Amino acid sequence: MIKILDQPRYVCALGAMQTVQGIYRGVPVLHAGPGCAGKLAAGIAGNNGDSGYISPQIYPCSNVTEKEIIFGGEERLAETIENALRVVDGDIFVVLSGCTAEIVGDDIAKVSSRFANMEKPVVYVETAGFKGNNLEGHEWVINAIIEQYLAKKPVKEKVKGLVNIWGPVPSYDPFWVGNIRELEKLLIEIGLTPNAIFGEYRGIENIDKIPQAEFNLLVSPWVGLKNVKLLEEKFQTPYLHYPTLPIGAFETGKFLRTVGKYAGVDVEVVEAVIERHEKEYYYHIERTSDVFLENRTMSRRFSTVTNATDALAISKFLVNDFGLVPEKQYITDDTPEEYRDSIEKYFTEFEYGIEAKVTFSKDAYRIHEEIRNCDYFGPPLIIGSIFEKKLTKELSGNFLAVSVPIKERLILHSSYVGYHGGLRLLEDIYTYVLKQFN
Amino acid sequence: MANKKIKQIAIYGKGGIGKSTTTSNISAALVKQGFKVMQFGCDPKSDSTNTLRGGKYIPTVLDTLREKTTVKASEVIHEGFGGVYCVEAGGPAPGVGCAGRGIITAVQLFKQQRVFEELDLDFVIYDVLGDVVCGGFAVPIREGIAEHVFTVSSADFMAVYAANNLFRGIHKYSNAGGALLGGVIANSINAPYAKEIIDDFVKQTKTQVVEYVPRSVTVTQSELQGKTTIEAAPNSEQAKIYTRLALKIAEHTESKVPEPLDVHELREWASKWADHLLALETGEVTSKASCI
Ligand SMILES: Nc1ncnc2c1ncn2[C@@H]1O[C@H](COP(=O)(O)OP(=O)(O)O)[C@@H](O)[C@H]1O
Ligand code: SF4
Ligand SMILES: [Mg+2]
Repeated sequence: MIKILDQPRYVCALGAMQTVQGIYRGVPVLHAGPGCAGKLAAGIAGNNGDSGYISPQIYPCSNVTEKEIIFGGEERLAETIENALRVVDGDIFVVLSGCTAEIVGDDIAKVSSRFANMEKPVVYVETAGFKGNNLEGHEWVINAIIEQYLAKKPVKEKVKGLVNIWGPVPSYDPFWVGNIRELEKLLIEIGLTPNAIFGEYRGIENIDKIPQAEFNLLVSPWVGLKNVKLLEEKFQTPYLHYPTLPIGAFETGKFLRTVGKYAGVDVEVVEAVIERHEKEYYYHIERTSDVFLENRTMSRRFSTVTNATDALAISKFLVNDFGLVPEKQYITDDTPEEYRDSIEKYFTEFEYGIEAKVTFSKDAYRIHEEIRNCDYFGPPLIIGSIFEKKLTKELSGNFLAVSVPIKERLILHSSYVGYHGGLRLLEDIYTYVLKQFN
Repeated sequence: MANKKIKQIAIYGKGGIGKSTTTSNISAALVKQGFKVMQFGCDPKSDSTNTLRGGKYIPTVLDTLREKTTVKASEVIHEGFGGVYCVEAGGPAPGVGCAGRGIITAVQLFKQQRVFEELDLDFVIYDVLGDVVCGGFAVPIREGIAEHVFTVSSADFMAVYAANNLFRGIHKYSNAGGALLGGVIANSINAPYAKEIIDDFVKQTKTQVVEYVPRSVTVTQSELQGKTTIEAAPNSEQAKIYTRLALKIAEHTESKVPEPLDVHELREWASKWADHLLALETGEVTSKASCI
């Protein structure tokens, strides 16, 4: 049966070109049809990460058209890689294939391997749209770098306290830079040395350090699991999977204690950090509690309509730190079947025995219908993407766009992670609430 | 000239079964009758029209397209025996690209340029590669290209299998204005059991045999001279058969939707025939029967 998918919030696997762009001086080389990159960038990068040193409008691309479909496009790809290496001053080149090239069976592995001995590393990933979504593509890109680049380098010694950070997905998470930076800061505060490959000036230098980490820290419900598992296999690096991106005092405290314990950090060091932050954090909450408690424009109930990471992170914050009541949480990132049970379980682990129902759906039409028919006991809080804006207006509710497509706000380095992130999220939510008075 | 209806015919069948041989003889016979004919080879092998052109290959549509972005139809039409317009779609090198898409592109290119109308053709005959493996090879039976489809088949199980697959393709497109089946051209039918097998298959699938074409050394001799039988041995018995076949196709008006067998039915049907042949020739299974 033909189904129309209304307002999907993920794109095809080739969307992982943004992951390559997220690596400083990383260059995506596309073997795809004209239009793929532009369309995908509009879908997820939008006004946050659509331009720069290298950007979807200028990615080297073989522009596969009818001729390449019929006769095969391998030579065209070889030409594209060769010229990209000549013209673009980058540190790592990642060849990504689109649907058309893979349908006709172009062997991108073979073509890319011709460039194995160039000065700059060239790796390839098969990211045809029909194979999966951009989050799976993101994992494939990282795995390709691990297998085709890192695993071929001489083994180096592990460095005590060095921790690779994984989780936030470049561009797809509009707060990716800020989120990664916050996670880095938190690790530094408890005396660890973070290593993240995405964002400003990290790039190849940090990629090279990946095998030396003492452990991998994955902060996400599912995206990245395949990567930390591969890293364990290739470099015997253990990993800590912390499913919830920590927002606010409750989760961040838990996060720091968990990471600290795993890394063997002195409990006192961790507790001192937590105490210092909580003092500051609760000062702000306290002095603003009137705003939170005494308004008639927001009921205590909310839904999130977003990817698994944000749905989990934000609902944990709103329930555990803030005492709101979760109605259904809608996960829109096309989460692979294999992870769904464990994700549902995370939503049964709130404080005070509170649980939230979860629906995995790619179809905004259905989600919106359900939200319309749900009783939030007053104006609800809906946190999602720009697609929820009209719906929330219709319900006279409160709205915040946090995941793609966002379109209405500019995010540079801000983040909802950590103590300051939690406060920031409250500012954003209640700015909307306060505007309702005007 | 303006309103003349061009009869477009597609001939399918398993590779090596005799499609090009039969098609070229049909084309040759039709031009001899005074018709204007184009033979359009839709097979990356690009040898459909060889016997119409003294055994010579011609540049294909796709070869030409490989060199430049636009192809004028006139660049890839080459006249052959009696003025038959010969075209070869061509295709990619084995193992690369997509031959199916190649066929689509070549056929569409001609359709767009309205070549058939300008040449004032009576017949366009598509000689299409083997099995209907993907959408590309189904393009001549899709809406707006051929109206009538014939399949060349012997009594060989593999040939019957390919014919049945074609019927499935026709069946699929039949509701959307696709081509319908004219019938089966039974090729290399010499042994009596071969005729029985083919007769039974057409009965099962609710179609008909248009002509029985025997396997003949005249065909081989003609081919060795780079000619059709019609050209090389116009007075032979085989040439008469090809002419009769060509006229039947020229006069053919009503094609039908066949009723293909499903895979299980087809296998059952084949094993029934295998048993029958065994019983028939106890201990003397010929190579032909052994593949049934
Ligand atoms: N009726 C026939 N008698 C003798 N040889 C035949 C006959 N039909 C086909 N052949 C021979 O079989 C071979 C394959 O035929 P061809 O027409 O090229 O097959 P196709 O186009 O189906 O691949 C050719 O050498 C051809 O001469
Ligand atoms: S689905 Fe295929 S064609 Fe569409 S953007 Fe992705 S790779 Fe390109
Ligand atoms: Mg042939």
